[in-house]
Amino acid sequence: MEIKKGIAVSPGISIGACLIIDSEDYRIPHRQINPSQRLTEVQRVRNAFRDAAQELTELEQAQDQTGGGRIKDIFAVHLRFLRDRSLRRKVTDMVHADSVTAEYAVSTVLREIASRFTNVRDTYISERAADIYDIERRLLRQLLGHKREDLGHLKEEVIIVARELSPTQTAGFNKAFVKGLASDVGGRTSHAAIVARSLGIPAVVALEDLTEIVRGGDTVIIDGNRGIVIVNPDEDTISEYERYSRDFLALEHKLDAIREKPAVTRDGVRIALLGNIEFPDEARVVLEKGGEGIGLYRTEFLYLNRPTEPTEQEHYEAYAETIRVFKERPVVIRTVDLGADKYTQSRRWAPEPNPFLGLRSIRYCLQNLTMFKRQLRAILRASVLGQVKIMFPLVTNVQELMQAKMIVHDVMEDLDEESLRYNRNIDVGIMIETPSAALTASTLARDADFFSIGTNDLTQYTLAVDRGNELVSTLYSAADPAVLRLIRMVMQDAHKAQIDLSVCGETASEPEYIMLLLGMGARTLSLTPPMIPEIKQVIRSVTLEECHKLTRKVLGMNSERQISAYLRNAARKVLPEAY
Amino acid sequence: MLTGEETLEELVCETTVEIKNAEGLHMRPAMKFVDVASQFACDITVSNDEMKADAKSIMEMSMLAATYGTRLQIKAEGAQAEEAISALTDLVEVRMFDEPPPENASG
Amino acid sequence: MKFQEFVCFEATIPELDNADRDAAIGALVSALAKAGRIPAQSAREITEAVIKRENEASTGMGKGVAVPHVKHTAAKKVMAAIAQSDAGIDFAALDEQPVYSIILLVSPTDSPDDHLQAMELLFKHLQKERFRKFLRQCRLPEQLEDLLTEADEDPSW
Repeated sequence: MEIKKGIAVSPGISIGACLIIDSEDYRIPHRQINPSQRLTEVQRVRNAFRDAAQELTELEQAQDQTGGGRIKDIFAVHLRFLRDRSLRRKVTDMVHADSVTAEYAVSTVLREIASRFTNVRDTYISERAADIYDIERRLLRQLLGHKREDLGHLKEEVIIVARELSPTQTAGFNKAFVKGLASDVGGRTSHAAIVARSLGIPAVVALEDLTEIVRGGDTVIIDGNRGIVIVNPDEDTISEYERYSRDFLALEHKLDAIREKPAVTRDGVRIALLGNIEFPDEARVVLEKGGEGIGLYRTEFLYLNRPTEPTEQEHYEAYAETIRVFKERPVVIRTVDLGADKYTQSRRWAPEPNPFLGLRSIRYCLQNLTMFKRQLRAILRASVLGQVKIMFPLVTNVQELMQAKMIVHDVMEDLDEESLRYNRNIDVGIMIETPSAALTASTLARDADFFSIGTNDLTQYTLAVDRGNELVSTLYSAADPAVLRLIRMVMQDAHKAQIDLSVCGETASEPEYIMLLLGMGARTLSLTPPMIPEIKQVIRSVTLEECHKLTRKVLGMNSERQISAYLRNAARKVLPEAY
Repeated sequence: MLTGEETLEELVCETTVEIKNAEGLHMRPAMKFVDVASQFACDITVSNDEMKADAKSIMEMSMLAATYGTRLQIKAEGAQAEEAISALTDLVEVRMFDEPPPENASG
Repeated sequence: MKFQEFVCFEATIPELDNADRDAAIGALVSALAKAGRIPAQSAREITEAVIKRENEASTGMGKGVAVPHVKHTAAKKVMAAIAQSDAGIDFAALDEQPVYSIILLVSPTDSPDDHLQAMELLFKHLQKERFRKFLRQCRLPEQLEDLLTEADEDPSW
């Protein structure tokens, strides 16, 4: 039995058999082999090459001259590759030197070759990388037989273990069978975390080398509350966790019972609880959990995992579906926050060296007005269906806001000309997620209808810590005095300018921070749907006076550790069952 | 430019060629190159600024990923080195891998 | 899209001399008419359209720059004219500061892409402090032309 500690990113307990996946949906069996097995593995490699070559020869012969003989040509080239001795030698050398499985060696060697292609500017050559991937797949098929796992076709309950999880893989998850997630890398706001929370399954990330230790089929326990993964637990541990799991579910049910109750403090102050979503079908989860609207609708997913840009109609339909669930309650749609990701980086002539500080988000949109206008048109058209608001991400200065609003105005003119209806008085607000925006919030407040504080990015940029980097993840903390000071500044400026303010980062989903946020002046929180009941419970258990007292104390403290400990203690007193 | 030196027992020939076909040294031309090189017994290597490839290995040749205009050094050592260099130069610069040149080719 | 393709240098007004916002806009439109880019009889209508838009939503982007724009059937191609004011003009800009450089953009009603590209280019350069500063320093149309040509040609801009 082995216990691994990571970062808890989605609550709950799950006990079950694990399924290990690698980045291309191939279930790569355990990477390391016993050195004594190397000869067998080398033979497997040779057999795979031989069999794949055979398969290709047959395909090539069966292929006639249609298509100008191009397909035949491609097969011929692939065949030449498979017969290339230095390629095969590279693979067997790796098996020998590193004691790894044939699959792992094939995959690693071929991908390295493919990467040499993709880095070449000439698109014709860089597209040849696809050929290499094809050869890799052919070889892997020989090695794995038909054991390739298609995550959309799971037949039994599993816990997914991976180095990291991409949006493509998680998009195919069938909640009925995926019961938990564990990954080697990642942080609180990495993709796996976000998806696990939306699906309501436990997840632990940043386990570093879990994929090295565990074998496909091993029993694992995912403790998404404490951030622990136990591999091959003994009997006693299993019983203990089963008991713990039952208690936890009991708490969940208790929390579900307050779904219909309002989020009001003991001294009668009403707090609005909204949900953060990425997909239209999460909107229903928000409602189920007692949320009153959407405080952050992340629209990037409309762009990812597809070869073409979404059309205006596709945008419109996604928004319409979400709005219909909420009817008259607010839905805040954030325009695309793309840039520091594969989508835009792969479309550039030269990838940016520092994408997170580069042409992303609203800046990207202002340099790609056709795309930006398309999204704005769809949002405006959908605005007649309910209470829609537009929100711009990563605004760092007043000019950006003005430019963006000018474009909104232009779009409105276009719609007028086409006699299409929209809400002329739609609220347009911004996310405050950089130090510059926080420090100039009073100026921005003059022309923004509302602010939403994105604590994730604000913390990241203020502390200069990459929130996805597990090497420094302990430095990332929203309880840092610098971050708190900025948040308070923004809240005060919003209050003075009399504009609405909400907090939509992870901090709003964490019980320890609620009293502080309320004490600083927040009256609207937008959080991850599964946490809505628990946060509501916290709100219903405190008075605003207590919150103010706590806030005064915290703002006088100078150390993040002191603040974190203090907040945790206070939360424990309010909601003991959660700890 | 062809330089031939006779060392003790082996003939070493070297030359520099320029890729002239529009789509560069992608898979199909690389394969043709390997086919031609494989007809000769001598050792043949092809180099660019970053790496050296065995002219008879499709894997190594395609890793050169040489685009239009790239210059490569070809070195042949052993029997028929001169003929090898000659045949390869012909393939690359004269026949241009039997592929179309770029539309605005000036030479 | 490059500045040279749509900025009408002959229509440059190097100093607006105490004009107010509406007068400045009128002067720019007239300058475009005088340069033959728009028919003289449309000048009045275009000016009114720009002012109307400006009243609905200020195009004062802050940092002393405004980009009033309009689409009109009388425009055959996307065009821009630039005016400067040493004293500064009140454009009801977001930062409540006066505007020193006005870039008027007039586009045809049927070339949305060109219009967008021109705006993207303007946004990109007007964001830069250096560019705004040099813009303000242009006293003659030739200096403006030099500046914009350089911005077009030099990738480091």
